[in-house]
Amino acid sequence: MTGIENWIEKLKKAEKTCLLQDGRRKIHYTFPDKTELAEEYNVQTGELLIRKWRKKSTLGATLPWEFEVGQAMENPIQGSETCDIRENSNNPIFTRQDTISSFQWRIRNMFYSSDNYFVELDEQQRSLIVKTKNKKYYKKFTIPDMERIGMGLNSKSLSYSHANNTLIITYMKPSEFINMEKLISAELSKTKASKDGDVECNPS
Amino acid sequence: MTTPSVSDIKEVREITRMERIGAHSHIRGLGIDDSLEPRQVSQGMVGQKKARRAAGLILEMIKEGKIAGRAVLIAGQPGTGKTAIAMGMAQALGQDTPFTSIAGSEIFSLEMSKTEALTQAFRRSIGIRIKEETEIIEGEVVEIQIDRPASGTGAKVGKLTLKTTEMETVYDLGQKMIESLTQEKVQAGDIITIDKATGRITRLGRSFTRARDYDAMGPQTKFVQCPEGELQKRKEVVHTVTLHEIDVINSRTQGFLALFSGDTGEIKSEVRDQINAKVAEWREEGKAEIVPGVLFIDEVHMLDIECFSFLNRALESDMAPVFIMATNRGITRIRGTNYQSPHGIPIDLLDRLLIISTTPYEENEIRQILKIRCEEEDVEMSDEALTVLTKIGKETSLRYSIQLITTANLASKKRKGTEVSIDDIKRVYTLFLDEARSSEFLKEYEQNFLFSEITPTAAGTEKMTVDS
Repeated sequence: MTGIENWIEKLKKAEKTCLLQDGRRKIHYTFPDKTELAEEYNVQTGELLIRKWRKKSTLGATLPWEFEVGQAMENPIQGSETCDIRENSNNPIFTRQDTISSFQWRIRNMFYSSDNYFVELDEQQRSLIVKTKNKKYYKKFTIPDMERIGMGLNSKSLSYSHANNTLIITYMKPSEFINMEKLISAELSKTKASKDGDVECNPS
Repeated sequence: MTTPSVSDIKEVREITRMERIGAHSHIRGLGIDDSLEPRQVSQGMVGQKKARRAAGLILEMIKEGKIAGRAVLIAGQPGTGKTAIAMGMAQALGQDTPFTSIAGSEIFSLEMSKTEALTQAFRRSIGIRIKEETEIIEGEVVEIQIDRPASGTGAKVGKLTLKTTEMETVYDLGQKMIESLTQEKVQAGDIITIDKATGRITRLGRSFTRARDYDAMGPQTKFVQCPEGELQKRKEVVHTVTLHEIDVINSRTQGFLALFSGDTGEIKSEVRDQINAKVAEWREEGKAEIVPGVLFIDEVHMLDIECFSFLNRALESDMAPVFIMATNRGITRIRGTNYQSPHGIPIDLLDRLLIISTTPYEENEIRQILKIRCEEEDVEMSDEALTVLTKIGKETSLRYSIQLITTANLASKKRKGTEVSIDDIKRVYTLFLDEARSSEFLKEYEQNFLFSEITPTAAGTEKMTVDS
């Protein structure tokens, strides 16, 4: 399990800041190559709510946050300014929202009947593929968590269902991975978190 | 009657952007053939064969890209085509070679020091070709729908449906995207790519599924397969950025603080050092390649002694671009000193320069240039009128006669003529004075002007006092 050890080692080396706010434990990592990672956990359940990355472009400009887990708050002002072409809000919206025991993706705005969808697993490229019979939606995506620790995928862990115009894809986390997450969250709960709102201010 | 009503002002004009005609917009290149022989009239260039041949040699040097920090001075009387030659060089170098053109007085600003402005100009003229990953949307156009608001004013809204063999997505379009889609004449059945960062649209061709619609299709229509998989892809593209652009990207304050600090102004030398190191690293790894460009400073005599000594030093750097200057001064005072020097440039800098000189145009050359300008400005002119204009150009200046083309054309339009005749030329010649006649006029009526009671005492104006 060198993959798991590598990943934990990488997290340990990163510069970390921790903050408790709105019932969430927010952690910000900065890696030596200036890549930033921000995570938000539910304090009660320990579920991962948001994980996002921010990288530097080749020329040194800061790129926008990329969401791996969770979803960005819609900011209409910023959105209209930066890009002149956007997906219509009626298009399928793809998000990942994990539970403690599984990776889970939700694709909203899928208006077609349940027999329209296929979810396949490409074992060679370690990716999942969502297809539609009527050729309206197609997406190929990987599980970055599994890639980071260098683990292959197993089609037995994969299941999906469709209800309320939402396609839910579930992939059971392997036991090694659950153990690793426990280890990391134990480590994180040890780090001192600064509480929001009681920042010391000494007017001199 | 004089104030237009509101509805008149808000009239929306839907025509393709009009190209404005500038003083040198007829220049398309240097007009030399492969063996560097200048042709008499070519690519908007007329005469000045010697200077153009020299410029051609310099061009070869720039294209080879090996030699850094060479400097060239184009010297000649006003209106002998110095700027035209520089423009021609820029055109001949093409889009990928950075060409920065500034006027000597541009560097004097209160916001930044002279050397900072010069450094920025230098770094604008050095390009870096580098690979970058960008996000693109690639697909076949299913439908474009553009809605104009019923009132005729306000923002348009648009929708674009794109598909691949596997999927289909509807996009909302902004104002700029609608404009560029109409400009590219994108229609259903086209395969296009859109660069998400820049919004640039490229038409790859028409879909094979549309091959049977014979209507309105040129013989050069290219057919391509409908793309597969997802609409949004990541693609590596090679593009040229200038050193200055990299400087700006890396020196900008992040986040909302940028709103307060503003991003103009000086760039710290640490940032530049950092970037130079980075570029050197990329070069060694083979990730990037340097494209040395050209820095052109017009009216270079406006620079002062500090700038010149800075240039001396800057030209020695191996990152220096090829540096072209132009001046119309003879032996004159160097700005910021009391010393006289040829072209107003210190001797030590002059020593490093290759000097190209331009000579006044011959009568038949003036005729040619005027003819080219007539074509450029869409002016029909009779042969006799052109002869008269040539004569005016010879006796006054080329610039003055070029000005007359535009005004004479308007005069002929007003009398509903089909082409500009001698009478039109005569008319505008009497309406607008050239420089010589204007000073003649001044001498004649000097007493009637304001402040004429103060008799100038300087030695240079002696002649005027004698006349009056």
